[in-house]
Amino acid sequence: MAMNGTPHPLLVHRLPQPNYIDFVRWVPPLSALDRLVAAAVFDSSSSTSALQILSLTQTQTQTHPADLTLQSSWPSPSRITALSLSLLRHKPLLAAATADGSIHLIAADPVDLGVDSVGSGAIHAGPVSGIDLVEGGSEIVSVGDDGRVNLVSLSESRLSHRRVFDGNGLVGFAAAKWASPAEFATGGLGFGVQCVDNRKPGGPVSQFRGNWARGTSSGIVHSIDIHPSRKHTVIAGGSSGTVFAWDLRWQQQPIILSGVATGEAQAHSPLESEVWEVRYDNYMHSLNIGNISSSRILPVMTCSEDGILAVVEQDEEPIELLAEPCAINSFDIDGQNPSDVICSLEWESIAILSRP
Amino acid sequence: MPGLGLRSLAYLSLGPAGNSLRVSVFRKPSDDGEAGGKVVEVKLGDGDGKIGDAQWRRIAYCSVTPFALLQSRKNSMLAMSRVSASSSPYGAEWWDYVKEYSREINVLLGGQKLPPSSVIEDPRIVLKKVEEPNCLKAAWELMEIFYADKQTQAWTPERLLDWLARYFLFSWQDYNSLLSGPQPTVHSKLVNFEKELAGLQTIEEDAKYWEAISSALALGWLDIAVKILHLHGSYQLDQLGSRELENGLVEAVAVLISKMPRMRPELSPGKLGECYKTKPDFIKAWETWRAQITKLDCSAFWVECDHRQTREGLKNLLQIMLGNANILCSATCHWIELHVSHLLYIRPFTMGLESMYSLAQKCMQLKPMSSPHKLMRLLIGIVGENIEVVLAECSRSFGPWMVVHAVELLTAGSTQADILLHEERFNLGGISMVELHRLVYAQFLSSHALTWQNIEICRLYELDNVRSKITKIAGVHQWKHGKKGFGVFWLQQASDEVRLNRIAQQLFDFVGKSISDESFKQWEGLIELLGSETRTAGGLEFLHKYRDFKRSLQQVHDGIATNAAKKAAESLILLMKNPSTPHRFWLPLLYDSEDFGFSLCPGYGLESSALRTILCHIGTFCKSKLKLFNWQECPLLNASQTNLLLNKLQELSMARLQPDFIEADLPPQALSSVRLALATNLGCAILEE
Repeated sequence: MAMNGTPHPLLVHRLPQPNYIDFVRWVPPLSALDRLVAAAVFDSSSSTSALQILSLTQTQTQTHPADLTLQSSWPSPSRITALSLSLLRHKPLLAAATADGSIHLIAADPVDLGVDSVGSGAIHAGPVSGIDLVEGGSEIVSVGDDGRVNLVSLSESRLSHRRVFDGNGLVGFAAAKWASPAEFATGGLGFGVQCVDNRKPGGPVSQFRGNWARGTSSGIVHSIDIHPSRKHTVIAGGSSGTVFAWDLRWQQQPIILSGVATGEAQAHSPLESEVWEVRYDNYMHSLNIGNISSSRILPVMTCSEDGILAVVEQDEEPIELLAEPCAINSFDIDGQNPSDVICSLEWESIAILSRP
Repeated sequence: MPGLGLRSLAYLSLGPAGNSLRVSVFRKPSDDGEAGGKVVEVKLGDGDGKIGDAQWRRIAYCSVTPFALLQSRKNSMLAMSRVSASSSPYGAEWWDYVKEYSREINVLLGGQKLPPSSVIEDPRIVLKKVEEPNCLKAAWELMEIFYADKQTQAWTPERLLDWLARYFLFSWQDYNSLLSGPQPTVHSKLVNFEKELAGLQTIEEDAKYWEAISSALALGWLDIAVKILHLHGSYQLDQLGSRELENGLVEAVAVLISKMPRMRPELSPGKLGECYKTKPDFIKAWETWRAQITKLDCSAFWVECDHRQTREGLKNLLQIMLGNANILCSATCHWIELHVSHLLYIRPFTMGLESMYSLAQKCMQLKPMSSPHKLMRLLIGIVGENIEVVLAECSRSFGPWMVVHAVELLTAGSTQADILLHEERFNLGGISMVELHRLVYAQFLSSHALTWQNIEICRLYELDNVRSKITKIAGVHQWKHGKKGFGVFWLQQASDEVRLNRIAQQLFDFVGKSISDESFKQWEGLIELLGSETRTAGGLEFLHKYRDFKRSLQQVHDGIATNAAKKAAESLILLMKNPSTPHRFWLPLLYDSEDFGFSLCPGYGLESSALRTILCHIGTFCKSKLKLFNWQECPLLNASQTNLLLNKLQELSMARLQPDFIEADLPPQALSSVRLALATNLGCAILEE
């Protein structure tokens, strides 16, 4: 555990906010001076939601080393349930999905940092549980509690969608992620992960069911990630601290990185409750990516309901970065500067970490 | 005295928003020509220190850490006591933990100290503002006095006094008509006296002067009493010579007042009295002090004192210190003031809650009040030693946060309270009061109702029953709203076998009705979700086998595949043999096997055997569409298998006579047509063999 052998301490700034922060993402800098953050916020006293662009300023004072300043805000018609970001022609494009089933594409202006909707549409019946914007484009894959998987695209300031799969609520999905502009994966109930090739009709090309999770009665995948250089592997995080990798080349058995399903050998797993987000940790493997064989799973960062932000690695002790008294609902690793991590805490605050 | 001769004016006005009180103190220019003054704004909230939503949430968030720490300490102490088998699970350090917890919570509740109103001590300002009123903090501190600190029970009366002075009698009573209405209090009396002070010439001749001193003394405000006493005319330089004896008596009383023994560890600066930490020391000092008062009371000097008001006034003060109940009653206004004076002068050795309730009742009879303030109601509940009343007051006036955290103080030293709060209650749906309140609080902490936070909090706070109930509710909710997959997920989280089995049965009906390719794929996902064969639920195991059976039937449907048909027939036999297959599904299963239509059965009559032809015709005639039982190439079931099915059918016919039999939703002729089809198949099979 802990940060053994690290030369400098981990710096953590906790910034109390006036709202709930449902999601938080780094926004790629529009200029060299800015450090920007996108946050999906919810004000419980007025029951209003918004997507905000905040600028992060680092000050030299000891008491107040970092500060977030509101730059612009886009009012959301309902609570934001999923947020994704891509760069389209060097401009940040955000996709926000809401509890009422609508999806909104929002562009950030590089000059005045203003945010404006460029297209929206009612896509799902009920909450959208996962969306992903394709890299460098505006196409979205969305999944919802309604059991539908949709491909959403922008045409003349409206979002239109094509239904890839309709589970009619019999099965539900919670996560979606593009592997390439034509392939994506979804995750959801029953620790299930599905890989879909857009070009091939007739449902998923491969499906994985979490029947291996014996001993646990049921489970759900909350988040998945795919590394651009390793499209054959999907990592997934879900119920009971479970984090696993599913390699399409060895489909029968998942590689379990953490969780109760791992059996007694790794019973001391730090993660016990719901894993809300998983993401490949570029910082850890940028150090030694050349040495990692393609069959080895790259390090994965996770955040969980029991307030743990950790990096898990195959056959290694997880490294705990944060242990909060409340849930960590989302996090993001800065693409430009992977030592920096931002996360949103359940108790109306944002934490910013800079790793040594 | 340094400030003598200065005159100060104090103005009270309401602040711009109407929720603050502006206290302005002006001083005349002093000798060095400097004008002085100060304006202090006292925030009143809406009169009872209301806390905003965002502040509430912040309090709720920040209190979790000390709460969790106390829980983990409690658990480890309990675990330790189990090992060491000692009689009491809580050692001395337990009280340190409780005090630490209470202190941390208290800090969270805020309440800034007001800046000192004046730098130079002014003898004519007898009252000082102490702290911004905050009802929640006041309530917490009250609980703290009586529950969190059992080691210092002897100090309870003094701590209660401080509390009353801080929150109730001193700070805000005048500003809040809720508390006392038009009824005067000692504080209001003193305020009025202070206002008139400037106009009085020889104050010791005014009855109000002596009343003010008596009242301040009765409440133990020794510094105020002495301060007013020092305004006595005999202290003035020009009169000192002529009133020497009188002044000696005044000074003697003032000294006795300032030497009053107090059963407390310390006094804040400027307060008078002598502190004693232990009861034996205090009793000794108290008796000595009382003896001195009695001695002075019996002194011959009184006869020589010719100033009547001074003589009577001072004698009255001595009676207060000697605990004269009638004089205490006339010196105080509100029942709580009388209560405090009794604790100070009549029952100075009171420990903890000892006989406080009867005293409180007596005082309330002497000084009745209308519509008591919530803090008073809480106090009455506490001194009445009625935990349920205390909890009800906490809940009614301060909300679920207060209840959950106050429970920790209530149960800290009382086994009785612990049992009362942890016992499972039928009327609360089988949960205890602690669980109920924690649950309400958990909801308060959560941003969404019925979600993960509740479940996580239940996990942390060990509310397993509640957790399973919440997940059950979530499951049923999702199921009813058409999100069947999530419904199953939550019910599995709740380990609700009963509902899962019912769902499996419903699923069977759905799946049985439509087996089109598209819909079956969806149902398949749900059946997958229902779990693997490791599950004990017979219904689910059955449903899995049923799925396999349906799948084979589907293949039969898709093309003429004898192998698939054979597989389906095998699945059917397996299902019928399996004890986990519920009775009520036997007929539907058999009927399903026939419900296939004729499109693929052109072979009737082309078979060699005339007998078979006849038998097949009987089947057709009876509108039997028994695909598996009338496979055109060869009978799929041999004679013994067919016999097994016929026996099951017979068993079913018997079972139907039972009163609790559930009839399947099938056409009335289903049983007979299945029987006939089986008979046909039996004939074919016998022929074949």
